[in-house]
Amino acid sequence: MSKPAALVQGTLYLLILKILELEPRTGWAISQRLRQMSNETLQASHGSLYPALHKLEHEGWIRGEWRESAGGRPSKFYSLTRAGRRQLQVEADNWARLSAAINGILESA
Amino acid sequence: MRFLQELSLLFRAVFRRPDVEREMEAELAGHLECEVRQLIASGVPPAEARRRAAAGMGRIDSIKEECRDARGTAAWEQLRQDASFGARLLFKNRASPAVALATMALGIGSTTAVFSIVDTVLIRPLPFPRPDRLYWVRDIGVRGAFDTLQANSRLAEYAADTGVRAFNTAGRDWPERVKGSEVSANFFQTLGVRPLLGRGFAGGENRPGAARVAVLSYDYWTRRYGARRDAIGQRLPLDEVGYEIVGVMPAGFRYPAPEASFWVPMSLDPRDIGEYWGSGIAGFFARLHDGVTPEAAEAELRAWVTNIRPMFPWRMPDAWGVGAGLTELRESLVAGARTRGLLLFGVAGLVLLIAIVNVANLMIGQTAARQRELALRASLGATPGRLARQLLTEAVALAAAGGILGTALAFAQLAALKRLLPAATPRLAEVAIDGRVLAFAAAVSLGSGLLFGLLPAWRARTRQSLAALEGSRATSGGRAVRTDAALVVTEAAFATILLVGAGLLLRTFWSMLHVDPGFRPEAVVTAELSPGRSAAASAAKSAALYQQVRDRLAGYPGVTHAAAASSLPLTPEITAVATAIEDHPIPPQDPQLVLWTTEVTPDYLDALGVPLLRGRRFTAADRRGAPEVALISRATALHFWPGGDPVGKRLKPFSNDEWRTIVGVVDDVRSYSIAGPPGWISGEIYVPLAQPIWVPQTVSLAVRFRGDPGAFEKRLPGMIQEVCAACAVNRIAPLDAVVARAVETPRSTAWLVGGFALLALGLAAAGTYGVVNHGVVRRTRELGVRLALGAGRARLTALVLGATLRYTLVGAAIGLAVSWGLARSIRTLLFGVAAHDVVSFVVPPLVLIAMGVLASLLPVRRALRIDPAQALREG
Repeated sequence: MSKPAALVQGTLYLLILKILELEPRTGWAISQRLRQMSNETLQASHGSLYPALHKLEHEGWIRGEWRESAGGRPSKFYSLTRAGRRQLQVEADNWARLSAAINGILESA
Repeated sequence: MRFLQELSLLFRAVFRRPDVEREMEAELAGHLECEVRQLIASGVPPAEARRRAAAGMGRIDSIKEECRDARGTAAWEQLRQDASFGARLLFKNRASPAVALATMALGIGSTTAVFSIVDTVLIRPLPFPRPDRLYWVRDIGVRGAFDTLQANSRLAEYAADTGVRAFNTAGRDWPERVKGSEVSANFFQTLGVRPLLGRGFAGGENRPGAARVAVLSYDYWTRRYGARRDAIGQRLPLDEVGYEIVGVMPAGFRYPAPEASFWVPMSLDPRDIGEYWGSGIAGFFARLHDGVTPEAAEAELRAWVTNIRPMFPWRMPDAWGVGAGLTELRESLVAGARTRGLLLFGVAGLVLLIAIVNVANLMIGQTAARQRELALRASLGATPGRLARQLLTEAVALAAAGGILGTALAFAQLAALKRLLPAATPRLAEVAIDGRVLAFAAAVSLGSGLLFGLLPAWRARTRQSLAALEGSRATSGGRAVRTDAALVVTEAAFATILLVGAGLLLRTFWSMLHVDPGFRPEAVVTAELSPGRSAAASAAKSAALYQQVRDRLAGYPGVTHAAAASSLPLTPEITAVATAIEDHPIPPQDPQLVLWTTEVTPDYLDALGVPLLRGRRFTAADRRGAPEVALISRATALHFWPGGDPVGKRLKPFSNDEWRTIVGVVDDVRSYSIAGPPGWISGEIYVPLAQPIWVPQTVSLAVRFRGDPGAFEKRLPGMIQEVCAACAVNRIAPLDAVVARAVETPRSTAWLVGGFALLALGLAAAGTYGVVNHGVVRRTRELGVRLALGAGRARLTALVLGATLRYTLVGAAIGLAVSWGLARSIRTLLFGVAAHDVVSFVVPPLVLIAMGVLASLLPVRRALRIDPAQALREG
């Protein structure tokens, strides 16, 4: 149920990195933000969100930290590392190129 | 930097696992709670909110698993889980893992113990530096040839030894025998071993007139000189001559034979023609110079053979030295032990394979019993690969435990093996369980674990259906039956191969035991008497001495004969003499007739109980100065004078000047070995000890008793001392023991292979029982249905037993076919039995049928006790 295709997985990484660009968030907050930002179009299943978070942490692009959340209970907040910031740039560029290319094909064909 | 971070994450994941797991749990729980709170806030009732949130989350287990995967630490983590789970299972379900463990330990222990022997005897390089440069020189073992080659070779350093022989030395109460080797001066340097103390031999010490020096072995130095440094410089008396001790070799230096207690320079004196060109040297080897190929060295050697042949003071046949060449030294030492070693290794390997099959079956049984558990785990998100990996890990954990136990067992088994193996096994003293052997044991354990873990793991990959979870236990699947069949067939085949081999070797041993040696060994005590150099200086002196000894021993109570001979039957000393025989002239350039020769006192043949068939025995009148006489064996008489009377015919050993008259024919004796003389022996003769062909330096006493010899063996050295103070007495043993030693090798082979075959049969029986029993358990419902539908007990018994026997017979047939091929390869070890001996091939299948029936008895009983009603209800 979690891994339809590599593209989606890769895109999810890009979106997570983008969401964390502004401020550290918890997993739940990331999933909410994702839904909001995409006008409810995109919803990462929890089955893919958490493994993705752990993967990104393992890669060293984000860092998890336990902090008090607004509700007063400790939650794990993820923030972007410097490597993550670079990676975001790379992935965003890739995505721009990819989507431009696909758009180009769609429009000309 | 990146690496450090990775490392810290891995460290956390592996060693601070509870933290990581707890965090993951807390994180997911936090998420769930937020979800619930949001749902409640949007107006959903709390209970419904909880349900929906949980449904939205999906399978928590599977998320966690994927998170672990994502961290790249999953492999570690799973290994830990599986291992601890396997351990828990081991303790929960005691009986079958204990059986599996014991089985593995037996298999691994046997293989490891045998490997340690095979490794040392057949594989490991000799304990010398650059052992690959050492080569054995074939076929030209004469001092003159060695001396010439060593002086002229530009490609190799040649060295030589005479093998080991015994010398008289001073003992505590009376002279003792001690074994040593005469060697060329460069012997130690060529082998590349420096003395531990003192020096080796110097250049000229082989030459006439050099001072007499000796180098001691470490063992003899320790035993005899208390490992004192001042042993250097002391005198070692050997055959009444003092040798100055100049060095001590390091422990473990045992060349040319483990019995060598010392080394002295070999005499190389071209003026002593008989010794220099005649009497042989036993060991003749070369160390090739750097960069020299064996082919080049061999070519040089061959060229020199042609030059050496005309150097002999007499004309040598053109065939002399044509077989000369180089063989790897290690190869030449162990060649005789190869077949036997490989046989043992193969046998132990088969035992291990049977053990593996047994354990694989136990594991399959256990996997089947855990079907529900596995299915549950599968439905909770464990992938098939993950489950297979778990089963494999459990198998390897079991194998590792089996390996540790097996290695411990190997120490005990090796001690037993070393006792069972013939003492003459090359390099036996070096055998020990060391790093190499332990590495082998570890590899075997791991390999076995993979082997017996793969089958159940492979089955588990495809078998974890939800049906199992729902409790379906329908009839046994076709695949389970096929696996059962394969297991029983395999075990039966392996066991059959071992039984056939054991049968052939036991029958070999049996036939050897039942060969009539030609003499009556009971109530005869034998001993070796070594008079020392001066006492045996001439035939007259030694004849007088033996007369005195005979008179002294004949006075002992109960002695009927006190005789002596140059050698006893069935002892390995070769006493063959080239002889001319009347009526059978051989052209000088052709191979001459070689006769087995024994010098005997007049009552020797009576002492041994060898009957006289024709003519007369030797008497005291056949002494020096009287016409020289000989007795021949029956086979010799038949061979040279079939139908005629050999008495009165004559023969002449080449080293004598006179023709000897044959005065009688005695019955055949197995002088050389139980298996009979080698092909190059044309016959056997006896001559009076008073008219010897060579004056023997050592004689064997044979004393026959009426009744029990009593304390004779203990009193013997003292009695000899009374008549000959310089005489050493050793190898005191009943003649039965001499005969027993002659069949030591076939006996040990037969017992070892037989023992392994029994072990294999036991394991195969246990394994077959396991398979049949498991089959009955699995088919409880089916059998219940059959019973309910009116199948009789006989029908049920036939059902269970029939299948077992069918598989056993198929396995036995395969085993017989393989054995048929393999039997050829152990042909050289057989005696008195054909390689395709009917009995050895008919008995094993019968034994296996009996085993199949026995192994099925309990399962059949279980099947008959099935209560149809209950079986149906439970199914």
